[in-house]
Amino acid sequence: MALASSFKSPRAVFSAAVLLRVVLLVYGLFQDAYSPMKYTDIDYFVFTDAARFISQGKSPYARDTYRYTPLLAWLIYPTTWPGQMWFSFGKILFAVGDIVAGWMMFRILRSYQKMPQERALKFASIWLLNPMVATISTRGSSEGLLGVIVIALLWAVLARRIVVAGFLLGLAVHFKIYPFIYAASIVWWLDEGHSSGKKKRSGVAEKASIISHITRFVTRERLLLATTSIITFTAFNVVMYLTYGYPFLEHSYFYHLIRIDHRHNFSPYNTLLYLNSSPTTTSSSFELERLAFLPQLLLSVILIPIALAKKDLPSTMLAQTFAFVTFNKVCTSQYFLWYLIFLPFYLPHSTLLHSRPIGLTALTLWVLGQFFWLQQGYQLEFLGRSTFVPGLWMASLAFFVVNAGILGVVVRDVKGMGEAGQDAKVEKKR
Amino acid sequence: MKQRITYLVPNPDDFHPDLLEVESASLSVRDLKAAKEHRLTLALSELPSELRKAFEQWHELHIRWASETPYSAPPPFTSRVSPGLHVFFTPQEDKSEGPICALLREVFGQEISCDDPQEAFTKLPILSERFSVSASSQFYAYVRSSAHFAQYVAERICPPSSTPCKAAAASLNWASYIDIDYDAISHAIILNAFWARAPRSSGWSETTHLPGGQDTIEIGVLNHETNPDPEDIAFSGFLTVLGQDTKPKPTRFQTPTRHYPLPATHSKQTYTTSFQHPTGLHPTLIITLPTRHLQPPAETCKLHTYLTLPSYLFLDRYPFRDDPVFLSAHNIAGLRSLSGATDLEAPDWVIGAWGSAALFEIAIPPSNKKQNTHLNVTIPLHLRYLPAQNASHTRVPVPWPIVFWACNAEEGTKMSSNPFDRRHLGFEGLFGVRTRFVHVPPAISSGGDGNGKLVEWIDVPVLDLRGARWVEVGTVGAVVLAFLGICWVLFWGGSGKATRSVAREKKKQ
Repeated sequence: MALASSFKSPRAVFSAAVLLRVVLLVYGLFQDAYSPMKYTDIDYFVFTDAARFISQGKSPYARDTYRYTPLLAWLIYPTTWPGQMWFSFGKILFAVGDIVAGWMMFRILRSYQKMPQERALKFASIWLLNPMVATISTRGSSEGLLGVIVIALLWAVLARRIVVAGFLLGLAVHFKIYPFIYAASIVWWLDEGHSSGKKKRSGVAEKASIISHITRFVTRERLLLATTSIITFTAFNVVMYLTYGYPFLEHSYFYHLIRIDHRHNFSPYNTLLYLNSSPTTTSSSFELERLAFLPQLLLSVILIPIALAKKDLPSTMLAQTFAFVTFNKVCTSQYFLWYLIFLPFYLPHSTLLHSRPIGLTALTLWVLGQFFWLQQGYQLEFLGRSTFVPGLWMASLAFFVVNAGILGVVVRDVKGMGEAGQDAKVEKKR
Repeated sequence: MKQRITYLVPNPDDFHPDLLEVESASLSVRDLKAAKEHRLTLALSELPSELRKAFEQWHELHIRWASETPYSAPPPFTSRVSPGLHVFFTPQEDKSEGPICALLREVFGQEISCDDPQEAFTKLPILSERFSVSASSQFYAYVRSSAHFAQYVAERICPPSSTPCKAAAASLNWASYIDIDYDAISHAIILNAFWARAPRSSGWSETTHLPGGQDTIEIGVLNHETNPDPEDIAFSGFLTVLGQDTKPKPTRFQTPTRHYPLPATHSKQTYTTSFQHPTGLHPTLIITLPTRHLQPPAETCKLHTYLTLPSYLFLDRYPFRDDPVFLSAHNIAGLRSLSGATDLEAPDWVIGAWGSAALFEIAIPPSNKKQNTHLNVTIPLHLRYLPAQNASHTRVPVPWPIVFWACNAEEGTKMSSNPFDRRHLGFEGLFGVRTRFVHVPPAISSGGDGNGKLVEWIDVPVLDLRGARWVEVGTVGAVVLAFLGICWVLFWGGSGKATRSVAREKKKQ
């Protein structure tokens, strides 16, 4: 079992992860040079164009469809320097980001989940040696970069580096908005038991008044996290707004908040959005899609953090992200990366891994859902068949139901994590 | 009112002076096989008051309508635009656009999608600063027929009693192209119609009368002559000014020109337009040129194509930049200009603008690589989402692009001295002043789905409302059920057994 033994040394796994990315990067250079079909992601041309505009002293928003913080364009500034190698700088940066995220993942598994090295390496490999992750970053999509920030945020919280965590949270939200959902679970998790390791004052809580509830909720750490994250977020925005003006707000925030993506995607709302925004539709509809944010935010910001955060933080973040992506009005395959990064923390305790039938069923259904959708999408995009209804609609609903089912399993498992701990205690007493 | 009628006889053998008959205030032609141009110059005061008021708000207005039926275009009428209605327009500096949209609909057909000129018109890019004579904004609509315009002229412009005027208006029904020009400096409106051939195969048989004392009508019967100066075109024939001349006066002249026909040695150059099938949501437009005759008419000439893309189609400019592999795969030398509605994401119903216009330079493979009989220039396009319908597809028209060589011209600004000079076609402003254009004529597409017109139709898949009855209930139902299900698991449902067994396993270890 050469493969199994290779998980024994971090050096082997990380070398393999680096090698995988180097091979993909070099392959990408060849495909780009010799084929009109490009390996490089379209978004990467958007980023590098924006960086070029910055290097000419212009606004990155001079580039159509640049919908990100100017920070991203600044980060890949060297891509504007002459030569193909410098042009690839951004991809290398994103790939390095992948590896760093994988390293932090490995450290968290070792230190905070007390996992043996080999097992930790195996689970970290879900990210490190995942061809999808490596492909996305080497094609030049920035999702991996956000992955590093989010993993670093998790590490900082677990390590009680509250100021660092606040900074990373503010930065992550500045980068991509959606990580604000993590604020809820982190704040909830940072209670006395988790944060300072003091003994729980049981019994007192029952008699406590509302005011004392509040005063006990407002701890020093929670305040510190809130302040540092808000200051970071505000500072970045103020600097960017002063430099790039209204287009910065418009493209990096308002666009994402009001966008209705009509082009088909995995979201269950997709067909409904097309139907109800189409001017030919007589408005007999209740426009319920306007309320789509309700189940999404209720689950990912309130219910899941409250019910699960104190049981296990990384798995709660996975459940939050999974709920956010599943219930989102827009969903493309890049979004899967958002939750994939938390998978190594959850899978070791997961029914999906421990119950072979459930795990295999979930995986099969997920893949089938994707396949059905992609097949319908292909018929529409390339063959010109009108598969919007029932094909694509049913496919996206089926995929949604599969995801909701998987989310149910995740939630059930995370709920059990606390109980598992109690179980263990109970069994000890016996 | 001034009128000028020009019959252009392509084959000199078809003409002898006996076919003309001049009387005191009329000229008759009989069985004259010729192309015809009829130009009417009107003062603002000769227009109905609603039109006059509108024109007074405008700095310049140029309307070009071209038929979708292919026609041959003898010099000096060689210039072309894509079939449909093109409008180039500049309002007075401090005034609003006025009712330009309402007038366009009234004159050319109510189906024209133009509500707010601020939105519907797009800025016309001007690459050459010195070429400041271009209008500032552009509009296009696919208008299949000139019938609505002919009817408008007959009912609203012609005096109720004038039979010749109504007959002239009726003849607009089968014009090959119609131009309307106005500018605030001359305060005159020029209405220009062109017929590539007579409605009957025997040729033109008609009599032109001079209607009133103050009007003049100049009638020419010309044929194109070859001449030694390659930058000029030459004509010979007869000119008659009705009321002044008692018999046709022979004439011969040569003039520099902006638009040229292909030289005789290249006369077989032609192109067809089609789409790769299936078109899907990313149709690829193919311009096919036979390679055998694909030599530039002069050394400086570069082959170009100018596309007029209605709003439901758009072009992604980015792949066309500095990627030689992509460009050469499509036989394109470069995207030289793209203007108008270029949003890469929006569905058609949020696009207020008419669409976009693109200028490509075509790459001609080196002559030693011309093993293929045809050069296929492929232009990848994308479709916007169209409104949901009670049908699975919506059929949309795509006008054929025009194809021309752009060459250096020594004569430069002298071109406007040509009495047949035609400007404001959309693409000249994208070139320097010293540019002349040699037009490649379209051929009727043979085979495939060629419909004999210069318009391709593509089927765009849309959401079929007939099958969408359950979409709202189904979607909302699925989301609510999934939400409630997860809530149940969160707060009431059991917890994972796997983890307990894990815990036990761990304990055992």
